[in-house]
Amino acid sequence: MSGISLSRRQMLAALAAAGFSPALYRSAALAQGGKVLKVRSYADIQNLDPAFRKGAPEDDVMRNIFVGLADMTPGDTWKWRLDAASKLEQTDATHIDFTLMDGLVWSDGHGPVTADDVKFSFERMADPKLDSPYKGDWEVLDHVEVKDDKSGTIVLKAPFPPLWNVGLVFGSGKIVSRKAVEAMGGRFDTKPPAQSGRYLLKEWQPKQRVVLARNPDWKGEAPYFDEIHVIPIEDAKTAELGLEAGDIDYTWVEASSIPRFKKTPPKGGKLAVKPSLAYVWLGMNVEAAPFDKLEVRQAVQKAIDVPSVLEAAYFGAAEPATGIIAPGLIGHREKTLYSFNLDAARELLKKAGLDSGFECTLSILNTTEFTSAAQAVQANLAEIGITVTIQQYDSGTFWSLGDQKSGDSWKKVQLIINRFSMQPDPSFATDWFTPEQIGVWNWERWNSPEFGELNKKAKIELDTQKRNEMYVRMQDLMDESGAYVFLTHGAVGVCTSDKIEPALMPNGNPIFHGFKATA
Amino acid sequence: MLREPMGLLGIGLVLLIVLGALFAGLTGYSPSKLAMRDRFLDPSFTHLLGTDHLGRDLFTRVLHGARIALGVAFVATGISFIGGLILGMIAGYGPRWLDSLLLLLFDSLRAFPTVMLALALVTLTGPSLAAVVLVVVLATLPGYARVVRAQTMSLKTTEFVLSARSLGAPSWRILAVHIMPNLIGPLVILVSMDIPVVITIEAGMSFLGLGVRPPTPSWGAILNDGYAFIRESAWPAIAGGLPIIIATLGFTFLGETLRDHLDPRLRQDG
Repeated sequence: MSGISLSRRQMLAALAAAGFSPALYRSAALAQGGKVLKVRSYADIQNLDPAFRKGAPEDDVMRNIFVGLADMTPGDTWKWRLDAASKLEQTDATHIDFTLMDGLVWSDGHGPVTADDVKFSFERMADPKLDSPYKGDWEVLDHVEVKDDKSGTIVLKAPFPPLWNVGLVFGSGKIVSRKAVEAMGGRFDTKPPAQSGRYLLKEWQPKQRVVLARNPDWKGEAPYFDEIHVIPIEDAKTAELGLEAGDIDYTWVEASSIPRFKKTPPKGGKLAVKPSLAYVWLGMNVEAAPFDKLEVRQAVQKAIDVPSVLEAAYFGAAEPATGIIAPGLIGHREKTLYSFNLDAARELLKKAGLDSGFECTLSILNTTEFTSAAQAVQANLAEIGITVTIQQYDSGTFWSLGDQKSGDSWKKVQLIINRFSMQPDPSFATDWFTPEQIGVWNWERWNSPEFGELNKKAKIELDTQKRNEMYVRMQDLMDESGAYVFLTHGAVGVCTSDKIEPALMPNGNPIFHGFKATA
Repeated sequence: MLREPMGLLGIGLVLLIVLGALFAGLTGYSPSKLAMRDRFLDPSFTHLLGTDHLGRDLFTRVLHGARIALGVAFVATGISFIGGLILGMIAGYGPRWLDSLLLLLFDSLRAFPTVMLALALVTLTGPSLAAVVLVVVLATLPGYARVVRAQTMSLKTTEFVLSARSLGAPSWRILAVHIMPNLIGPLVILVSMDIPVVITIEAGMSFLGLGVRPPTPSWGAILNDGYAFIRESAWPAIAGGLPIIIATLGFTFLGETLRDHLDPRLRQDG
């Protein structure tokens, strides 16, 4: 028999190399003299146009390659700070003056960043013709008045409290180049035609990594790292192992891992726990039989024992949610209108003519956390005769399931466990459940004109008490629709290498350009 | 065969898995019922392999997982066996144009890496046991068919086949009565050697979330859960990995021993 033959000496050398290699792993992430930051993202980027970004993975990258007039500061309280503006001042309820800082230029020879670029960026977000899913962030924008190359005034149709918490300081406030974007036909996807941030998008290897390199033309305070490598790892548990192996410097960890990491910090790393604003819920497609019947949806609401689902998925590290608005924000409710009651659930199914039960599907993102939650939901619903088949999807497929423009999969969605990230204003939670969002982000396809109207009114309401009541009412409407079972806001555990000093917003969102090496 | 230690060990390990699958229902636990209070219990007389992150008895899940593994292995290799036999004989005995066409089909299927094939199929059909079986059949059938084709081409020029043909026997009879019996032996060896490969394909697909759906206790899914929670407890990972090792070793030893006994060339070589 022929084959590979190894001498004793070769075998020993190979074993020695294999045994020695783990010692190199720990320094791998912070290689190249401590100038490369390797961070984990829970999904790959899909669109870097601020008007069409998909979620947090894009936000985390855009924050580095684009600038806004202002952004959020790292720390434990929500505060904004100047970003590309040297001056930003609200002169009255509907006017905000701004002046851009000196030396801001676009990459790829597109010239200086101007006030006209600001006008273009904000007005295009609100433009109904562009139909950005985020147009709500700028829906009261009247226009932007350009005074000169570097200064102008944002003119609003009405006072707009969410602007300072959402529109100006997050993705919807990022400035893009008029010249470059118009040359691309008015929008772009994963190849930004011009960038102006602290970093530039150097390379994108789909499903492998995004490489951001320091922008040589950046005139503000220089970021510490030469490069940031954003590595998409869907499963947080896998990322935790990656952090402990030294392959990455930053990751969110699953809530179920927080108790363990609190007890014993990750090897070579440290844990920070932040209150989460995000919300996780079980949704029902109101157009998909049998969930088109209110009684069936209400039966599901009453059959889910939320604490048991949280125990399965989060090991008790997360509290039940009472809606989509987290504690501490305007509009947070004390309790839901429904409660766990199996007898009532069975009665409702009987009323719907389905007392012998039925079969349905539950769509989830293929992660340990959601798979555990789905199995608990499956067990809960089995108690009232509903047989649930769990369908797991990778992130690319999952995040287009309810999107009408991505195909017909939205028709097949019945039950779905979903998680949306959040910004510190209640409007950013409610915006996705309006009638206009049906087939975009409203995957339950719940159509409530009252909810839509309230959402518009609440955004421009200046009286905090009245605003609070509106958001509470909106969540009551969601309860009454039967289409939602609110599960949790989760808990944010952020693990970083102990060689890194992270810059995190109060909810744990990373500001990568603010990350430094520990002294 | 029973006198050879490898063969004996193979039979013992395979029997262990088969008996485990047959008597999986006797452990007193459900493989899928959640019992969160019993999460990550270490092995004991109550839970022989401990419990997983949802408090389920791992021993019970492993035994039920054996049903999935053996079911997929036997069903998928059975289909591949029959399909490979029929298509291989047609290719080897039929007209040249049909042979070329079938060869093109076999080679095209073999060109796909199994994981890519699995990903593509699961994207189209969604993860399920049927998808796993389909992947295994598409991955293994061309190999069997090619072996059968080569053997058939060699057998069709032998004297006993030529004399049957000269006596006016129809093609189907020649294939069924004269050629097929000579193909079964080598194919059985090949199939028996492939069963551990099929078991690992099923486990691999379930590990990646492309196989059976939760809470079905596939070994790959148990291993995946164990991997995710390895810092909390090592037992779920051990419970998922151990049966895969036992099954692959058992079927490999058994297959090799079968080959040694059934392959006349190896028998002669002693």
